[in-house]
Amino acid sequence: MSITNKITVKRAEIVVAVILALCSIALMIKSAENRITWNAEENMGAGFLPFYLSLGMLICTVLTIIKFVLKRSPQSKDDTPFIDAVAFKFIAVTIISLVVLVLAIGYLGIYFSLIFFLAFYLRYFSEKSIAFITIFAITTPILTFLFFEWMLKIPLPQGISEPLFYPVYDFMYGGFSFAVKMIFIILTIFLPTALVLLISKFIK
Amino acid sequence: METVGFLLDGIFTSLQWFNLALLIFGCLIGLFVGAMPGLGSVNGVAILIPITFIIPPTAAIIFLAAVYYGAMYGGAISSVMLGIPGASTAVATVFDGRPLAVKGEAMTALTAAAVGSFVGGTVSVILFTLFAPPLAEVALRFNAPETFALMVMAFATFVGLGGDDVPKTIFSILIGLALSTIGLDLITGKPRLIFFNIPGFLHGINFLVLAIGIYGIGEMLWTLEETKGKVQMSKLSVNMKEVGRAFGALKKTIMAMNIGSFLGFFVGILPAAGATPASLMSYGITKQLSKNSKEFGDGVPAGVVAPECANNSASTGSMLPMLTLGIPGSPTTAILLGGMILWGLTPGPLLFTQEPEFVWGLIGSLYIANFFTLVLNIALIPAFLMVLRIPFAILAPVIFVLCVTGGYAPTQSLHDVWLMLLFGFAGYILRKLDYPVAPAVLSIVLGPLAEKALRQSLILSDGSMGIFFDVSEKPIAAVIMYIAIVLLIMPAFGPLYRRLLKKKQTA
Amino acid sequence: MSIIKKLALVVVSLSLVAVSSVSSAKPFSPKKPVELIIPAGQGGGADEIARLVQGVIEKNDYASKPVIPINKSGGSGGEAMTYVKKKAGDEHTLIITLNNVLTTPVNQPELGIDFFNDFTPLARLITDTFLVWIATEGKNTAGVETFDDFIDLARGNGLVMGGTGSMSEDELLLGMMRGQFGFDAKYVPYSGGGAVAKGLVGGESDFTLNNPSEQMGFYQSGDSKALVMMTPERNPAFPEVPSSYELGYPDLEYYMMRAFMAPAGIDAEVEKYYTGLLHTVYHDDEFQTFNIDDGKLMSWLEGFGLKDFLAIEYAKHGEIIKNFN
Repeated sequence: MSITNKITVKRAEIVVAVILALCSIALMIKSAENRITWNAEENMGAGFLPFYLSLGMLICTVLTIIKFVLKRSPQSKDDTPFIDAVAFKFIAVTIISLVVLVLAIGYLGIYFSLIFFLAFYLRYFSEKSIAFITIFAITTPILTFLFFEWMLKIPLPQGISEPLFYPVYDFMYGGFSFAVKMIFIILTIFLPTALVLLISKFIK
Repeated sequence: METVGFLLDGIFTSLQWFNLALLIFGCLIGLFVGAMPGLGSVNGVAILIPITFIIPPTAAIIFLAAVYYGAMYGGAISSVMLGIPGASTAVATVFDGRPLAVKGEAMTALTAAAVGSFVGGTVSVILFTLFAPPLAEVALRFNAPETFALMVMAFATFVGLGGDDVPKTIFSILIGLALSTIGLDLITGKPRLIFFNIPGFLHGINFLVLAIGIYGIGEMLWTLEETKGKVQMSKLSVNMKEVGRAFGALKKTIMAMNIGSFLGFFVGILPAAGATPASLMSYGITKQLSKNSKEFGDGVPAGVVAPECANNSASTGSMLPMLTLGIPGSPTTAILLGGMILWGLTPGPLLFTQEPEFVWGLIGSLYIANFFTLVLNIALIPAFLMVLRIPFAILAPVIFVLCVTGGYAPTQSLHDVWLMLLFGFAGYILRKLDYPVAPAVLSIVLGPLAEKALRQSLILSDGSMGIFFDVSEKPIAAVIMYIAIVLLIMPAFGPLYRRLLKKKQTA
Repeated sequence: MSIIKKLALVVVSLSLVAVSSVSSAKPFSPKKPVELIIPAGQGGGADEIARLVQGVIEKNDYASKPVIPINKSGGSGGEAMTYVKKKAGDEHTLIITLNNVLTTPVNQPELGIDFFNDFTPLARLITDTFLVWIATEGKNTAGVETFDDFIDLARGNGLVMGGTGSMSEDELLLGMMRGQFGFDAKYVPYSGGGAVAKGLVGGESDFTLNNPSEQMGFYQSGDSKALVMMTPERNPAFPEVPSSYELGYPDLEYYMMRAFMAPAGIDAEVEKYYTGLLHTVYHDDEFQTFNIDDGKLMSWLEGFGLKDFLAIEYAKHGEIIKNFN
């Protein structure tokens, strides 16, 4: 019997309810770092609302647990697996690759991390050719860069790859004419594509 | 009728070829930026402020108005096509827009959003032209107690939105409110709930982080489970019959348009409320008044029209407090306001009389922008629908990229991207266990507004809740509060009433 | 140590020498867009100046790369200051100051910000002034014509003051006035100067301590009036408002400084570059006109003068906070 069969909806329901109850208690304790009183002399303390809101959360989770014990909720009678084995694998892979992606963004910077993420994810989930995946994985970060850094002027994290972008910035703000810049943009998008297509031809 | 003349002047000014070109360009930028999750008109407007130093103020404001309006439409596109609200104003559009798209009626949803937005925009411009000066006085008298009463009413309109499981629904509302208290407490100046002293919590939890997490990441995980990553999202064809059907469906949404346009405008002119509560309330009230309110949430055109109509109407309305009181209702209007000050205009009661060309030029260009965005939007629907033809295996990583950049961009912090992943995962698990997630998103949007207004009022009243119920002292607040209470209680008595009715009939 | 390692060391040190000689030969100029951190939200006074600086630089091509304003409003500037502290040595980050950079390190010691060692002050461009405002038709302040009338009234009654947020400049200022004039007021925090100004005219509060630009619209329409400006001299933008010195209250003097700082640990060369850039902006005609019309004081200060000024202000704010609690 696999692990996904053991995690039934019933078990998931009670485990989640207990975790939420614990989270609510943690929130209450954290809220109590600020004053949680409200009375005639003093106005509402900073912790008042978060404290009573999380108390309300606790009460709701306790009610959910009671309903579970009394078998009043549909989940408390449900012995089917919470998630089936195939879907579990997909979701686990997705979540792990997303976590690795965000970890990598902090270090490698977003543009290079995206190349690896996209290449891996497409290879794993789609049946597309390597040439397609390579083009896709390289073009998407380029478009992201052009859109965010050039058009919207929103800097995205570059991590250790930052010095590699200095020449690009020099070009972007270097007083070239609009036409030259447009040609450059088109080239940056189409050159990698052409290159990959060419190489894939040769390999075949 | 002097104002009508000014308004016509404004409209003609924006129809000059240079201005018109700017306007269409601005609409396109706005549509695009608005459709990107995490980005909104604020980003479009912010990059344009430096440009406006170069072009004349009138052209600049036309450009900015176009971006503003374009983004309002754009938010609906990502709500419908990707299921991720592009901005807080488009949250309610997800509720019915997304199910419509999944059912294969994306065309209807997008048409409803575009036409609804246009109607809302038109009605609000008319109302603005006719009633702006007296309404400015109302806006001035709308203070903290009134704002809190309005927030209670906004919550009250949403009683019916939760799931069948009452404790789980209430939990969802409460966790949204609790999350919204994270960050600096405005009233005492003390940091709250800064877990592990991570500085990222100091700016609180942006609504977008929760919404992108739940609707972006969470929804993708959900689809991944359903489809096992192999199936295309949906198949649809674009032909004239479809277009006709989409417009036909709008006949049933006239009530939603009325509610959205008028409610949106009146909520919009109130300072510090803005388009988000307007669109939420419009959705809630339309749902409650509708004959088939049970179908809301499964994809009805009226559920798209109501919020879209209201948010466009409100965004015109919110120009009023910005212009006459100098109060920005949203980050976008804050930047617009900054721009106005940089151009040497002083927002205030005199702006309407001293700078009529500017004020009516702005309103006129909003109207023209509204019209052109409608045209562009309808024309571009086939292009938007292409999104649905992309195989899921390719669309999924693209959406993840959009989520990551969208989570990062508003606050420029990786901390928020982590939170977004966490919310996405948690939202997915909770949704599988029948915890409704929409109430959490609503409360994180309205929570901060409500808390601020509540506590300001309590300082004024020395801690007495009576300030909200005193008809002679604060008539507006009291009336709204009583309506809100009726709205809150109604659903509880609804079944009771029906049971009584049945008994009578049987007896 | 193996030969390869030794060789590697030689190569690395040589290349370091080469790099440093290249960089010292050319004067610094930014290699990428410069982040300008704003420790407040969109639409406030600091935001306005930051975007003005961005616009002036862009329009006149004062710098080779653009300046990008980024709002980090969390924790009264705590978030922005922590961010800049972490960026020590970064040559492409600047921060514009509100007075909250003087108070937040004291109010939130858990952030671990050392005001004197975590930043490199570059220049102060502007100081903004504060005035005491009342509504012309205020129901509780009817008949108040002068600042002295106001003090008399405030001593007797608990007036309501609208402010921009707890422990922000205007609440500290209220604390200062409480000590000087012996009156207290109920403090209602709003978000942003615009909302404060509207609260006054809308009748929710009785007085405010706004900056000039925040009340300008209502001042021009006659809905609000100023009783005193907390400066030694009258301001040309408010010719009929007396200064606190004229009224005989020289202790009632308070400013909001708009200065720029870089992270700690940047080269002298970089510091010189940015100070020079700000100096160019300061003398730009458009920049000057805008700020003077807005009632702000142009007050360039750099180098040791600025460091002394910051030290004095920091101590002064520490004192106010101590008395406040």
